Amino acid sequence: MCDVQQKLIAWLDHELPTDESAEVQRHIEGCKQCRTRLAGYEKVSETFDVYCDVVVAAKTRRRVPRWVPVLAGAVAAVAVMFLTFPRTRIEPPPILTPTITAASVPVPAQPAPETAPRKTIHRQHAVAPVQVRAAKWQPRETAVQIAIPAEAMFPPGAMPKGMNFIAELSIAPDGSVKQVRLWQ
Amino acid sequence: MSDDSVPLALPLLRLAAGTSEVTTLYRELRKPLLRYLVCLGLTSDEAQDVVQDAFLSLQRHLASNGTQENIRGWLFRVAHNQARNRQTSYHRRFGEPLDGEMDFLADDATPEQRVLEKEKFRHLAAAIRLLTESERECLLLRAGGLRYREIGEVLGIATSTVADTVERGIKKLAEKCNV
Repeated sequence: MCDVQQKLIAWLDHELPTDESAEVQRHIEGCKQCRTRLAGYEKVSETFDVYCDVVVAAKTRRRVPRWVPVLAGAVAAVAVMFLTFPRTRIEPPPILTPTITAASVPVPAQPAPETAPRKTIHRQHAVAPVQVRAAKWQPRETAVQIAIPAEAMFPPGAMPKGMNFIAELSIAPDGSVKQVRLWQ
Repeated sequence: MSDDSVPLALPLLRLAAGTSEVTTLYRELRKPLLRYLVCLGLTSDEAQDVVQDAFLSLQRHLASNGTQENIRGWLFRVAHNQARNRQTSYHRRFGEPLDGEMDFLADDATPEQRVLEKEKFRHLAAAIRLLTESERECLLLRAGGLRYREIGEVLGIATSTVADTVERGIKKLAEKCNV
């Protein structure tokens, strides 16, 4: 075993005094075993250096906390569960839309039965009156469509002979006339 | 670690306005300091905090006409002590296996090369775990470019002790890694 072996790493790090460094260099040039050892120390030093960079890169890259993927997975699982088993939604009953195409015959109005005059009662509410919320849903189509022939709308003789109109009323859900259309 | 990922520059450079020496030192030593601290086991954020504190201490040190000899060793020593105060068991984390985190190492490498690279670092990590705390710190400071005398000042040990410790550490790693 060469005595110089104890100084190889210090020589590699340029930590030896000038005279000692020259002596070690001379020895290395003539000693294959020391050259092999020196190459190994150099390689380990380089690998250690790269490993430090790898550690820094890995730790810098791991800035997202470890619980974030777990939380994201849980959220995804809940989302999949809701999509797979959706809550049954209570839909309002379908609105019938009868269309009266035939002429409606005016019916004589029945006299309304006499009712006793209503008394105005002022109630004292123990609790706040229940507020009826407006329905959130609105039907897309008009609720009722009624087609009335012209002779049913105008008095006899008001319409020229041969002319025949049919008025089509579109009544909105709130009872107002949404659209009036005349057609022959 | 890119320059723009470190939110340290602004407060420091503002404080150091007119102190070109600190600015130069900051540009030169910020990365080696961060690397040393992260390798000691601090997180990236912790390391950045420590580096910032170290440079603020340097600013105060120079403002109070403190010694300007071996400022690099002075900075490493301050950072080292602050890191120790923050985390007493930081040294255990450096040798942690990095499995699954080294996939980005060589994007242009073949799968076989990647496996070999991983294997090499796995062996090295195992060998690092066998080092003593002093050996590990000496090798880290040496990898940071510090001279033995500076390492001795940082760790508070004699230069000859540093030389012996470095030699012992390198030989252990070479033996365990079959180099």
